[in-house]
Amino acid sequence: MSVIERPGFKSRYNAARSTLSEHWFSYLLLAPTLLFLMVLVWVPFLKGVWMSLHQWPFGSGDPTFVGLSNYEYLFSWGPFYTSLKATFVFALTTVVQLGTALLAGLLVVNLDRFKNLVSASFLIPYTMPPVATGTIWLYLLDPSLGPVFKFLTQYGILEQPIYWASQGNLALAVVTLVTAWTFWPFMFIIILATLESIPTEYYESARMYGAGRWDTFWHITLPQLRSAILVAFSIRLAWNMTKVSQTIQMTGGGPGYDTSLLAVFLYRFAYDQGQMGMAFTVGVILLIIMLVFIVLFIREFEMQEAHA
Amino acid sequence: MSIANRVGFSTDGYFKFATRVLAFLLVSISVFPILYTLLMTFRPANEFYSNSVQLFPHQPTFENWIFAFSELSDALVNSFIIASGTTALSLLIIVPGAYVFGRKQFPGKTSFFYIIIVALMFPYILLIVPIADFWYTIGLYDTIPGMWISYQLFVAPFAIWILRDYFAKLPKNIEESAQMYGCTQFSAFVRVILPIAAPAIVAIAFLSFLTAWNDFLMSSMLTTGTGPRPAVVELFITVAGGDTSDWGLITTETLIIGIPPTVLYLWARNYLSESFEMT
Repeated sequence: MSVIERPGFKSRYNAARSTLSEHWFSYLLLAPTLLFLMVLVWVPFLKGVWMSLHQWPFGSGDPTFVGLSNYEYLFSWGPFYTSLKATFVFALTTVVQLGTALLAGLLVVNLDRFKNLVSASFLIPYTMPPVATGTIWLYLLDPSLGPVFKFLTQYGILEQPIYWASQGNLALAVVTLVTAWTFWPFMFIIILATLESIPTEYYESARMYGAGRWDTFWHITLPQLRSAILVAFSIRLAWNMTKVSQTIQMTGGGPGYDTSLLAVFLYRFAYDQGQMGMAFTVGVILLIIMLVFIVLFIREFEMQEAHA
Repeated sequence: MSIANRVGFSTDGYFKFATRVLAFLLVSISVFPILYTLLMTFRPANEFYSNSVQLFPHQPTFENWIFAFSELSDALVNSFIIASGTTALSLLIIVPGAYVFGRKQFPGKTSFFYIIIVALMFPYILLIVPIADFWYTIGLYDTIPGMWISYQLFVAPFAIWILRDYFAKLPKNIEESAQMYGCTQFSAFVRVILPIAAPAIVAIAFLSFLTAWNDFLMSSMLTTGTGPRPAVVELFITVAGGDTSDWGLITTETLIIGIPPTVLYLWARNYLSESFEMT
């Protein structure tokens, strides 16, 4: 296969060469980024899909090809559906985070004093490692030793402490809310930065026409925040769905499988049982669920680009 | 503005009051759990298990802190080395990439950027299994460089995305004028653009450090007890192992791990908020 036998090759080669010589600097600076993302995202992803078709022990053991039977097993396994349900309930944590972040952002821009102090304190839960804040909540909510139930029983608000970790719905609620408490400041940072960048003239002229607070919120603030909200929501949703540390710490995925989110399943298959193939099978299913949001995010991103 | 305020004074008064009350409540919810735990760590063991709830210890002691530091010291050193190396490597990778996306035009730019955007939304937990397997094969499993490299997955996509906007907002003709004064493309980037972008680069450095310090997922999958295990994983193993008999020690360890990133974050806050606008 010499160069001359293929028509068009030479001209394409020349075109590529001139692009390269014209833009070599850009490509050079870009190369490390692309290389790392290839090695860390795209190669592992493809390899993982391949792994999900195998029984794949961690480390030195030999993988066996099993076709789709990992998927078959999962779909015929009762706890998988418990896990799906838990995952969807847990996803509501993102909604709680958005609500809190929006409220906090509006409060901070309307404060006339202590703005900095207040927004700094809002960040604190997010700055600590989730494992640390998970431990703090596990202690505070400990039914026999923790202060929350001591306080509630001491003042007669509760007859006796609630053993939430042994009741499926309560355990899921606790995990969902602690996750919300930990991560809402991420959305707050984005929303507050955007709120502060809205030109004050918008509000001034709206007021001249007699618009009240409610009107300005609906017609100025919310539309200006639209992008920030969508971006923050979809990133946060994707990231929340992969958080496992607090859930495992606080409930261990139980009682039964009631708080075994898909991510927790994945982690357990991989870490506790060394079944990498099964772990990635769970991962593929999680990805398919997330894909909807990835597409939404990209559409929003494209609209932003078109604006700029 | 001032006229409008005076006209609607009564409703404004209520509004101000409500804003302050709500802000105070939200601040309490954010800070009180951590402050309470902090006060607990100065209690001697016998006060820890008393039946009533009280805020301040009767006989404050540093026992817990001394013991927790001696337990955690190796792991804290690991955490620090892992986080600083991650930061250095990430700046090397991210800053040039973000610069190109923010300020250069070249064929393929959009498709390259999609690779990054999709990586940003990718459920990371998925990738850790194959990365662990791959690292095991090439000998990076359970090593510090292995951690430095793998954390770029968490840091790079988001940081490039933020930093790109910052670069794009800088005035248009900086490079051209630098080149008129005899700079090359490269020296224009290093000697003119980088100093201007310093605040955003500092913000990115903090984000990298905190991500690596705080992360649990990657470090728990890629290290073992004999390797460079960071402090977060040590704490997790103690707690998830169900060994919660000594809450005094555990809560102290928690705060030792949690306070450094918090202090850093609050310090770097002004840099950060500037880089987070999305309109």
